[in-house]
Amino acid sequence: MSLAYGVARSDVKPIRKPGLFSRSRSEKAAIGVLGMVTLIALLAPVLAPTNPLLPVTQPFVHPFTSSHLLGTDSVGRDELSRILYGIRASWFSALAVIASGVVIGGLVGMMAGIRGGRVDSVLMRITDGFLAFPGPVLAIAVVASLGASLLHTLLAVAIVWWPFYARIVRGEARAIMSRPHIEAARTFGVKGLRLAYRHVMPGVIPAVVVTASLDIGNLIVTLSGLSFLGLGAPAPSPELGAMAARNLQYLLQQWWVCVFPAVAIMFLALVGNFAGDSLRNVFDSRS
Amino acid sequence: MYVSMFILKRIMAAIAIIAGLTLVLFILQAVSKTNPVHAMLGAGATQSAIHAEEVKLGLNKPLIIQYFRYLHGIITGNLGISYRTRRPVASDLATYLPATLELAFYSLILAIAIGTMLGVLSAGRFRGAGIIKGVLVGGASVPQFLLAIAGLLFLYGRFHLLPATGRIGVPNPPTGPTGFYTIDGILNGRLGVTLDAFKYLALPCLSVAIGPAVSIGRVLRGSLLETMNSDFIKTANSKGLSRSKVILLHGLRNSIGPALSMTGLQAGLMFAGVVVIEDVFAWPGIGYYTAQSIPSGDFPAIAGVTLILGVGYVLINTIVDIAQLIADPRLRRMEMGGRLKANSRIKTPTAVRL
Repeated sequence: MSLAYGVARSDVKPIRKPGLFSRSRSEKAAIGVLGMVTLIALLAPVLAPTNPLLPVTQPFVHPFTSSHLLGTDSVGRDELSRILYGIRASWFSALAVIASGVVIGGLVGMMAGIRGGRVDSVLMRITDGFLAFPGPVLAIAVVASLGASLLHTLLAVAIVWWPFYARIVRGEARAIMSRPHIEAARTFGVKGLRLAYRHVMPGVIPAVVVTASLDIGNLIVTLSGLSFLGLGAPAPSPELGAMAARNLQYLLQQWWVCVFPAVAIMFLALVGNFAGDSLRNVFDSRS
Repeated sequence: MYVSMFILKRIMAAIAIIAGLTLVLFILQAVSKTNPVHAMLGAGATQSAIHAEEVKLGLNKPLIIQYFRYLHGIITGNLGISYRTRRPVASDLATYLPATLELAFYSLILAIAIGTMLGVLSAGRFRGAGIIKGVLVGGASVPQFLLAIAGLLFLYGRFHLLPATGRIGVPNPPTGPTGFYTIDGILNGRLGVTLDAFKYLALPCLSVAIGPAVSIGRVLRGSLLETMNSDFIKTANSKGLSRSKVILLHGLRNSIGPALSMTGLQAGLMFAGVVVIEDVFAWPGIGYYTAQSIPSGDFPAIAGVTLILGVGYVLINTIVDIAQLIADPRLRRMEMGGRLKANSRIKTPTAVRL
């Protein structure tokens, strides 16, 4: 008996987590583009040629000319600088909402999935109730009530965003709870937080990572729609959706002030969707 | 009998959700920064006038009484007075709703048509399926207003093919009976109105429809690919049926379920999507009304819109759930079976957001 125990101990090597350079190509690509956009967002103040809030030259300088790559807007502010700052706002807003969704939804879902029974059914009732609301419309009402600001918009969207994660985490956690390794852990007296953290959570993470990265694009488009309607940071601050909306009147003559911000949103959403798709393929092929 | 029990349960759930929505809106109203009395009377109102208005609106009563007054108002069709238009919100909504319904209706038809096409073509291993797959991945990333902007820029600005803003160009359009210009034109014997209305519908409809079409297409592609691996498809193939016949007659019918629930979800979400598009095209619907109400902080108007859109969303999803259950006997057994109950509720449509 003791011999068998010893053998087992020495034979079982801990599974190495793959390091950054041993990952598959599409996984690397996904991490690469996500990292690159995050870097652009972080470095926006360094990359931006001018102050995004102040006019630097005359209005409506054409794009692709000497000093202003993307032209200038109706009051002569550099469009490229404003878009860089706008990317920064959009990207971090989306990440913040996703983080809150993962944390809140994750906690609710883990609790429901691990405890099961009555806790599960009560928590999932609440989650389903939230899911049954039309999210974006409710977000409009929340912001209209609290007053327009970026923080309120993010709060409103976060309120309607977490139930989706709760459902996914709960489903994964329930599936894991019926696996033999949980029974084994329980026989050894593992329970509570340790069970959740060490034995359930590692199995939940892949699904959450894939969902979250596929969600970035979704969220960027949703947030930009709200910003387009004026539900975001107030006037002079550079926000992509609001920039497109406020410059709509110039569309036919000075198309660039309206088109470039919208294209920037599409670019961000594309990056999110591309990364999400590659990560999904990676995890699908592993399981 | 079981089915009717399920339908009853679904309807009860829908009522509970709508009641929850009214509670949320009431709370938002209560914490709202704009004081309704000040908004109604303006800055120069006297103290006694403010007090009289508060008594009239019942704002001096406890919150719980106020909530029931609010509920009573909703049931009797009183949604409060808009701060901006100074008219009852309910009558404002009645004015703007037909335009939104017409836009959403044709957009949905277009979305289903395009979505089905994308799904079938990309799953069918026809030539060019790779490109369509790319469209399905990329399409989800395009913000609606970019489509609208591109449409305006090219089809209106460059080629002058379609009108840019508004709902109709013909003078004295018919006022009834349906409120849909495209249908009223035919009913009133004025084909010109119908044709003109379609011209004005084209750009907004396309901008609204592409997003949902891509979502429907993705789900349909997924379930079609799964179905195409099953034995009965192999049988159909080995009988020598043509590829398109196999897909359309054998594959599609067995893959339509998930696409249907996606369509239900998208139909509900479409009402949220039209807000932006109506704003761009100055389409005189409730989305335009909302967009106009946002800058002036007109909470009663926005709450009214939220309620209408919320009720519409819940109703559509309820109907789709029930329709699916009636259409697909397999779901019926799962729903009634008890064993699978907790896990296998018909996918709450939102669960297919991917």
